[in-house]
Amino acid sequence: MLIQVLNGIAYGGLLYLLAVGLVLIFGLREIVNFAHGALFMLGSYIGFSIAAVFNFWLGLAGSLVAMTVIGIFLDAAVLRPLRKHDHMVTVLVTFGILLVLEAFATAVWGKSFRSMSAPDLLSGTVQIAGEPFPVYRLFVIGVSLCVAAGLTAWLRFSRVGLYVRASSVDPTTTAILGVDTDRLSLIVVGLGTGLAGLSGVVAAPLMALSPTMGNYILIESFIVVVVGGLGSFSGALAAALLIGQIHNFGAIYLPWASTMLPFLLMVGVLIWRPTGFAGKRT
Amino acid sequence: MYVTMINRLRTGAAIAATAALFVGGHTAHAAETLKIGVPTDLSGTYADLGNQVIRAVEFAVDEANAGGNSVEYKSLDTEANPENARRQSEKLIRDGYPIILGLIASGEGLAIAPMMERWGGLYVSTINKADGLTGEACEARVFRVNTQSAMDALTIKPWLDERKEKKWAVVAVDIAWGQGSSAAFATTAESAGKEMVGQFFIPPNTNDFAPYIQQVKDSGAEGIWVVLAGRDAINFAQQAKQFGLMDSVTVAGQSFTTDNTVKALGDVAKGIYGIINYSSTLDTPENKAFVEAWRKKYDSDPTNFEGETYVGMQVLLEAVQRAGSNDPEAVAKAMSGGEFDTIMGKLKIRAEDHQLLSPNYFGVVEEQDGVLRPVITMTATPDQVAPPVTCKM
Repeated sequence: MLIQVLNGIAYGGLLYLLAVGLVLIFGLREIVNFAHGALFMLGSYIGFSIAAVFNFWLGLAGSLVAMTVIGIFLDAAVLRPLRKHDHMVTVLVTFGILLVLEAFATAVWGKSFRSMSAPDLLSGTVQIAGEPFPVYRLFVIGVSLCVAAGLTAWLRFSRVGLYVRASSVDPTTTAILGVDTDRLSLIVVGLGTGLAGLSGVVAAPLMALSPTMGNYILIESFIVVVVGGLGSFSGALAAALLIGQIHNFGAIYLPWASTMLPFLLMVGVLIWRPTGFAGKRT
Repeated sequence: MYVTMINRLRTGAAIAATAALFVGGHTAHAAETLKIGVPTDLSGTYADLGNQVIRAVEFAVDEANAGGNSVEYKSLDTEANPENARRQSEKLIRDGYPIILGLIASGEGLAIAPMMERWGGLYVSTINKADGLTGEACEARVFRVNTQSAMDALTIKPWLDERKEKKWAVVAVDIAWGQGSSAAFATTAESAGKEMVGQFFIPPNTNDFAPYIQQVKDSGAEGIWVVLAGRDAINFAQQAKQFGLMDSVTVAGQSFTTDNTVKALGDVAKGIYGIINYSSTLDTPENKAFVEAWRKKYDSDPTNFEGETYVGMQVLLEAVQRAGSNDPEAVAKAMSGGEFDTIMGKLKIRAEDHQLLSPNYFGVVEEQDGVLRPVITMTATPDQVAPPVTCKM
């Protein structure tokens, strides 16, 4: 039982890592970034390539840095010039970026599946409640909790964090009060994309790498964002952990409905609280 | 979500066709191009398999054209979804590609099989495993050149008889293929005196296998039969390895540790048993020539799915030759009950259910000449694995 709960937390943690990047970008730019799954995929491949030459840890760090740079570029070159247009235009452009990145990955890494193993330090199992549990899943839980704690501290206690929160609530007023929202946006989109890269490498030892790998997990991340309340960080964490448990116990007790349950949860939450768990924004 | 379209016209064929126009029908047979529709998975769970299908079709088409024939193909993406398979196959046939080949999932084949007569097409299965396709759902215009689950089950029977593991469980993808293979395995295992302790069905495209792995461990199974392929196979194997499952139970599977999956998984795949439907190491002169030519074109060895697809193309092209026509009905007539020269030997298509009777293999993933690959340890002749006829055409 405890093992199953931990399994749910590990998968929820992975979903959170991916979803929180979406939340960051949505909060500031108010767009749903369809390219997020492709950025996750790209991060995964970058980590894979670095790890093949050096090691897993450099792959993790390298992907985080490379994807942050790509995120900053994405904001400066694509999202900022488009901000005066209807949000729908930007959403469509992010969909285009998704297609371009998939084609790029196919050209560079090929269509064949790749797999990446966990570093020696994290392979193997530990005994929890008399049952073996993979060390790597504990690592996934650890990373997601660290990211959650780090983000919360940053948003609560730093000046930039204050600006980000203010800008998420009302970008216009925040800008009038003298906050450079463009610079803020660079930081936030960079960070969000960097986290997509990080989650890509964290996910790599769990799932096959392929140019379309992002599509399979992005849907569940969207559900996390919607259930948590668009643009809410703590809501996303709660929603991710809940969906992790639903996924896990659904597969055991309601296998015939397991793929439906996250969607049913989303429909239920939207009826009960149309703004999601956090629900302060409309 | 988005459909990839590959439409390759051999320039040579186009020039030949233009030339035929000028000489005014002196070379009447060259003008009629054989058109093959290849609906396959180009972006879903089995995208890697679809890629192999395309390579093998392309290889066979180029080879035929170099030999003076005129063949072309067109491919559309189905994402291994039966509904898409139906739509894309109908589109291909409407566009003038009446001979369909290359669908991956059994559900796809079963979805288009009853339509072939009405659409005026012909379907040649090269990968679909579900027994029903040439069993209760058999159709006059449907042929299968690959082995069905019942044949794979007969192949593992002697191996199961010898194994000392008593308790077995099945881990299968929750689609027609997985359900059919699971049932076939359960029947064989019980006839070998084994006890089935669980059948776990997993939705395709699952990211996290942890809850299923935990249930397999709790079931007390000593051996598992895995019916997962493509992305699912890699995800399951990696995660099961991390849980220690791969080392604590005996693992065997169908289309599980295929050539490409073993390549992607590396050492994780070591020691896994499995059905091998085709191997580039088969020691026949025909196969050696094929592997040689394949290496020249692609700089790699043909995989199991590439070999099987090529067998399908060989049978199809020979049937067209014999029929002397590209008409699906005439080709079907030439196929039914015919014997064909393939890279796996001279093989017969049963007239009763349109199943090709081929040899089948079983083996284990280990190192051979420094390369980790599925290595054949047991060979079954076509007679040994011929499935019972259940089709009423």
